[in-house]
Amino acid sequence: MLGGAAGALASLSPRPAAAVLKLNITEGNVQPVPIAIPDFVGIGLHEPATGRNVSEIIASNLRRSGLFAPIDQAAYIEKVSTIDTLPRFADWRQINAQALVTGRITQTEGRLKAEFRLWDVFAGQQLRGEQYNTTADNWRRIAHIISDAIYERITGDKGYFDTRIVFVDESGPKERRIKRLALMDQDGANVRYLTRGDDLVLTPRFSSSADTITYMSYREGDPKVYLMNIETGQREIVSNFPGMTFSPRFSPDGQRVIFSLQRGGSSNLFVMDLRSKATTRLTDTQVIDTAPSYSPDGTQISFESDRGGKQQIYVMAATGGPAQRISFGDGAYSTPVWSPRGDYIAFTSEARLTSARDAVSRHLARPHLGAVA
Amino acid sequence: MRTAYTISAIGHAAVLLWSVWSLAANPLPVSSTEGLPVDLVTVSEFSNIAAGSKDAPKTETAKPLVEKVAEAKPVEDPTAKVVEKKEVKAAREPPPAPDSKPTESESAKKQAETPPDPIADALAKEEVKKPEPKKADAKPPTPPKKPAPPAPKFDPKQVAALLDKREATRLAAAGETLNNAPSLGLSNGAAAQLSLTELEALRALLAQLWTVPAGAKDPQELVVLIRVKLNRDGRLAAPPIVLTSGASPLFMAARDSAIRALFRGQPYDMLKPEHYEQWKDVEITFDPRDMIRG
Repeated sequence: MLGGAAGALASLSPRPAAAVLKLNITEGNVQPVPIAIPDFVGIGLHEPATGRNVSEIIASNLRRSGLFAPIDQAAYIEKVSTIDTLPRFADWRQINAQALVTGRITQTEGRLKAEFRLWDVFAGQQLRGEQYNTTADNWRRIAHIISDAIYERITGDKGYFDTRIVFVDESGPKERRIKRLALMDQDGANVRYLTRGDDLVLTPRFSSSADTITYMSYREGDPKVYLMNIETGQREIVSNFPGMTFSPRFSPDGQRVIFSLQRGGSSNLFVMDLRSKATTRLTDTQVIDTAPSYSPDGTQISFESDRGGKQQIYVMAATGGPAQRISFGDGAYSTPVWSPRGDYIAFTSEARLTSARDAVSRHLARPHLGAVA
Repeated sequence: MRTAYTISAIGHAAVLLWSVWSLAANPLPVSSTEGLPVDLVTVSEFSNIAAGSKDAPKTETAKPLVEKVAEAKPVEDPTAKVVEKKEVKAAREPPPAPDSKPTESESAKKQAETPPDPIADALAKEEVKKPEPKKADAKPPTPPKKPAPPAPKFDPKQVAALLDKREATRLAAAGETLNNAPSLGLSNGAAAQLSLTELEALRALLAQLWTVPAGAKDPQELVVLIRVKLNRDGRLAAPPIVLTSGASPLFMAARDSAIRALFRGQPYDMLKPEHYEQWKDVEITFDPRDMIRG
């Protein structure tokens, strides 16, 4: 048998029959993962639609991430009525679902208990199962937290669904525009206004502690940088220098605020420690340095400056010192923002097109690669 | 005579003229056939590719990319292994031989330098005498030693290889010398190992089914080695065994996506039952580093 097999297999591999065949897969695809999210089973719900709403929020969160493709519920073969038994994996394989989420929401008076299980359909295994307790009006947040858990388990990356966005809401006619600070969930729900629109507000930024924002306001005539606790509404001015302060941003640990201070024709970067209230000057130039943004580890700052003649993006140590220019293209480069992962800097570039129309585009740059196109 | 010449000349001229006319008037017919360009492409052109990178310059002798130093190179050929073992024996014997040469030249020098001194002479003689028995001793081993010199340098790094009593046909995963400058080839190249459409089909299927975890910052964590035992019908005989370990969410995501691809791919129809002995046990490395490097 050996001889015959060896002859037949000579072309397959030079190794003898007992050896393990080795294979390298170095290419895959980056298609979204098909996932099935049937309605959560509801028990004792005052609002019967909650089970459906939760699964819909999870599905739209995951779809928006681009990494998942929720399957249309009409295609489902198995109707999930309990989460305590194994799903019929063959039914889910049939519709090509790779992952399945089953869940249950139980309401006892004002409290909600939410449970979910994430299944690997092809391996027939549970990947994750959790339960959460909360008040009844918090069901939206529960859906976001479950989305985060699913996202993290399947992509290996932290989810971002249970977050909020602070922004400037503009309303009213063109000549009497009202700008208000507003807050919303990451998916656009639960909009809440933080200011009444009495004064002009700009560039709100979140602290890492998530209950404080910093922004610029014309409340006292000159634009100044403020802090606001979004839970209590309490406001505080950051370093009352003569001159105008603007373009604030928190350090990653939330302990410092970096901003620009304009005096005369030049603006420089300053940082204020929120505990000691001590302000430190980071740049000392006769040009305009602004739009600072910390790297996620807090050791570097990227900012825009026209020290080279035109607005370009620079990177320097968080303590100040020499800056390295990282953008070199035509036009103006501005508002650099470091990605939370630290591998990219997003920025705006404005280039004059031949048709005399200004084109503004947003780009990504690798901070360590130097040149930006 | 003259008329004969004339007739002959006229006759030749006529024949020549006729041939020029008639042959020129009727060019050789060339039927136009449609050309079908044929290019021979062998399987090995795709599967017999050395490990390297796509944009590296082409070199005459391609060196496989080696990122990690391991104890020994794969020894494919059993005969090569036997030679290596012989060399080990030779390496222990030689010590006396190198001794003899320097002493010989030293003593010769001394003789040339100090002929008048009798004591020195006597000493020198003693010295000359000494090496002589040694020389006699050393001579016999030298002839068999001759072929050995090129290799038997004792390398402490190779001790493990010398002590290795395993079958000569084993395969090590890494090379013995680092080679970070890849020569022309592909990262998935496996020259000298596999060259068959069955395996190419298997590889293509898994590459198609495998969803790479997106946006990983440290792709090193994503390399997953999985051992799969297959049944004759091309289905998994048991759940795949993961040989690499890790606890990070990223590793778990990478591992599960690889396992999912393996489950989804069955049955592996492209593997022919007559080769079952070959593919019943497969070790698969899922390595997305090249994709993430871009």
